[in-house]
Amino acid sequence: MYKAIAQTLGRPFEKMDPIKRKMYALWLLLIVVIILPLVLDNEAQTDTMANAMSYATLALGLNIVVGFAGLLDLGYAAFFAIGAYYYGIFTAYQVMPAWGPLWEPFGYVGLVEKINQGGPDLVHFTLSFWIAMPTAALVAALFGVAFGAPTLRLRGDYLAIVTLGFGEIVPIVARNSDSITNGAAGLNGVKAPLYWGVNTETMQIAKMSFGVDALPFYYVGLALVLLLIFVSIRLRDSRIGRAWMAIREDETAAGAMGINLVNYKLLAFAIGAAFAGMTGVFFVAKLQTATPEMFNFAVSSMLLVMVVLGGMGSVWGVVVGALLLQLMQTWFLPSITELCHSLGESLGSQMLLDVDFVQWTQLFFGIILIGMMLFRREGLIPARRAIPPLNMQQQAASVQRGGFSGLEKIGRWSNPKGNALEVKGVTVKFGGLVALNSLDLVVPWGGVVAVIGPNGSGKSTLFNVITGLVEASGGSIKFNDVELIGLRPDQVLDNGVARTFQNIRLFPNLTVLENVMIGQHARLVTGPVGAVLRPPAVKAEEKKANEWALDIIALFGNRLKPRLTQVVSGLSYANRRRVEIARALASRPKILLLDEPTAGMNPAETLELAEQVKSLNEAGLTVLLIEHKLDVVTRLANTVIVLDHGEKIAEGLPDDVRKNEAVLEAYLGRSAQAGMAGAAHG
Amino acid sequence: MTAFDLFLQQAINGLSLGAMYSLLALGFTLVYGIMELINFSHFNVFMVGCMIAMVTLKLFGLNGQDTILTGLPLIGVMLVGFFVTMTLCGGIGVFIERLLLRPLRAVKGPAPMITTIGVSYVLFNIILLTIGGDSKNFPNPLPPIAFNIGGAVLRLREILIWIIAVLLMGGLTYFVQYTKLGKAIRATAQDQEAARMMGIEVDRVIMSAFFIGSALAGASGMIFGLYYNLAKVDIGFGAGLRAFTAAVLGGIGNVPGAMLGGVLIGLIESSSGQFLGSAWSDVVIFSILVLVLVLKPAGLLGRLAPNKS
Repeated sequence: MYKAIAQTLGRPFEKMDPIKRKMYALWLLLIVVIILPLVLDNEAQTDTMANAMSYATLALGLNIVVGFAGLLDLGYAAFFAIGAYYYGIFTAYQVMPAWGPLWEPFGYVGLVEKINQGGPDLVHFTLSFWIAMPTAALVAALFGVAFGAPTLRLRGDYLAIVTLGFGEIVPIVARNSDSITNGAAGLNGVKAPLYWGVNTETMQIAKMSFGVDALPFYYVGLALVLLLIFVSIRLRDSRIGRAWMAIREDETAAGAMGINLVNYKLLAFAIGAAFAGMTGVFFVAKLQTATPEMFNFAVSSMLLVMVVLGGMGSVWGVVVGALLLQLMQTWFLPSITELCHSLGESLGSQMLLDVDFVQWTQLFFGIILIGMMLFRREGLIPARRAIPPLNMQQQAASVQRGGFSGLEKIGRWSNPKGNALEVKGVTVKFGGLVALNSLDLVVPWGGVVAVIGPNGSGKSTLFNVITGLVEASGGSIKFNDVELIGLRPDQVLDNGVARTFQNIRLFPNLTVLENVMIGQHARLVTGPVGAVLRPPAVKAEEKKANEWALDIIALFGNRLKPRLTQVVSGLSYANRRRVEIARALASRPKILLLDEPTAGMNPAETLELAEQVKSLNEAGLTVLLIEHKLDVVTRLANTVIVLDHGEKIAEGLPDDVRKNEAVLEAYLGRSAQAGMAGAAHG
Repeated sequence: MTAFDLFLQQAINGLSLGAMYSLLALGFTLVYGIMELINFSHFNVFMVGCMIAMVTLKLFGLNGQDTILTGLPLIGVMLVGFFVTMTLCGGIGVFIERLLLRPLRAVKGPAPMITTIGVSYVLFNIILLTIGGDSKNFPNPLPPIAFNIGGAVLRLREILIWIIAVLLMGGLTYFVQYTKLGKAIRATAQDQEAARMMGIEVDRVIMSAFFIGSALAGASGMIFGLYYNLAKVDIGFGAGLRAFTAAVLGGIGNVPGAMLGGVLIGLIESSSGQFLGSAWSDVVIFSILVLVLVLKPAGLLGRLAPNKS
């Protein structure tokens, strides 16, 4: 029925360009929220709406941390408190050092004033609200970095409890630092914002006087919400946002695709903290007081409920979530309570008279959290809508087979002479188990080296030690004359070593295009400021990145192209393998490490992929390959290296290795000839 | 009091607190060891346990510190009190697991953890709305017997707490080491998939871990009441954070580690309260949590479960 109504109402707008339609809708919404308080003309309601704005900004900040980067922060209110106390301390009459000539210059710029309360002259800080807002963002961000640096290395679930503790510590510190924060009683006389050069009386008549009317706070809050929505969306749709989502989806893969995990987590933490710091200034300037109780766990958890309700990662969703919860607290629950009371009066029921649903607010918070997790994890307004899979006709549409087409578009690799990768004496130990024992291996530029060996022989460990995922206990790995041991996975990728994983590690809830775009992370330079301001250089970079990704995807013909906007978790196994290779290619590698690229593919698909790898190699790309299927190995490799129990037992041309006695024994078992056929297909 | 007496006194206090935290930490460690889930509802199952114990003791006509019991009646009342509290809390744990967490078993990401936060909230607010937010007087029928050891005082209730804690932890150790279900729990913690293939009913193992953990949280809640003579709706947070720190300190997923960590945290709390003032003990505990996680995430005794990263 709702659908029918929506369709009828939407009919006149059906023909409009969807982007334009969205713009008009947003402008209309903006006009409504601007004139709403003027129409209502109710001080208490304006005040409530101004508070709602500050919740929305906090929810937006938490959304960056929890929704975008996937870091469950249960102590987010701590940064809110830091912003609040920062402004409070520098405007209230609490911290007042003795006046001296040192303070004179600050007096000229209006940051301090000399006061006398009977006794020596004292300094009273008079930090302007308008300066405090941006500087509070900085201060809170610094605290975010200082706190995040040691803890963000922790696994996700540990982070939750550490932030929970942190959120509890900040109010405790505030409560126990009497001389600075006035303890539990809180700071009083926090200054309301002032206008510059505007007649105060005019503002009083216009009901726009800070500290007297709620209206100006509503507009400041609204502006803050709009700003933060803008910043959130710009960040989300940039290199930064993609990096955060990659971390959220799969940390290991994100690192292997060139994303510096710690830095990007810190960035999310710092930006989230900055949002909260600004809101803190706004909130205490409005209340003109700051007490420790304003920032306890209840606040952090309320914000979490807002984000969960609206939809983690959904910018509009969390704003709606914040507004809905505020509506529930200030209007819905009191109204229901009143209704119950009047019912109770007419029915003479004492039970109904005693009910006070406002006290149930937090109970509902808990119920909302549980209910959303069980029944609608993506929130009321999901961050992304499900795209229907291709229909049968689309799926059957001319599947292109064979090698790569359009390879010339992504260029040729021009290789120097000599060896690309030189592994010397590399040993890896897991506890008592020696996974790799003093392994030597050489991959010449432009060559294809295949590593084969039984399960558990150390093949994937070799890849992991090259790409910085496991630590070597000895030896050296030189690529392009750069020592890779000791580098982080993102640094290894930066040097031109890209890999795929044996078990496919894509970013499951992102689209094909997004996955491939993330592969380019290390080759792009946009930072957070560029992402938000989006100057021409950034626009051009995004455009080029997008074209590059499309070129790479086009290599696979019709396999991936029609599925650009599909979420990868819904793709077929073979297509996911292809996306993973495309993602690695997107990083413009100098060498490609493929870990069983044809595992789980049928013979036709295997052949197709082998052809594709071959055409890549013919274009000059150096390849190191782990593979079980001997026909693939024979077709592709110049050199085959056989591992067993972490040691190299043979090396040579594919055909020679196939005849090697030691290999037959280790790899194919004693009944070598009989085992051959099985190994070729398993 | 001499310095040694002071030390002795704080050791006595610390051991009692430690017994309480150990029992609570075991619940965190059992569930984390099996499911890699930080169970935030555990915080308030502990608090509910304290409330259940209070109501149960009141049903015996005990009120505050008015009635003193000795001999068999005392033992009987204590046994019944612990039995009722532990059974009901275990039931709450099973309820949470069966109804709210099992549907999320296959879901990746923070959903199960967020659910437990929601459950914690609901438990907290149910108690707040029914029993109230003020501090309640917890019935304590123990006779005021105390021994002087030098300048330090050892009271009967401390001895009682130690006995109960040793019995429960000994029982748990026996259970985990030697019974069939205990072995199944350890196997599941090592590798859920392999355990399932060996015919272990993983769902039943998880449910029993929740039952045992929550029952121990109930016992811990009752000990809290007996130790402090009070019950209050907001006790879950501080005790839970300490117990979680204890579990991490000992090595999360590791049963003896949780016991050791609990005792250490108890000793640290009592001595930091003595030297820094109790207002800062939260800060000290939290700093330990962060330091252990950052410097030695496997804890003192190491993880029982392999690191599945």
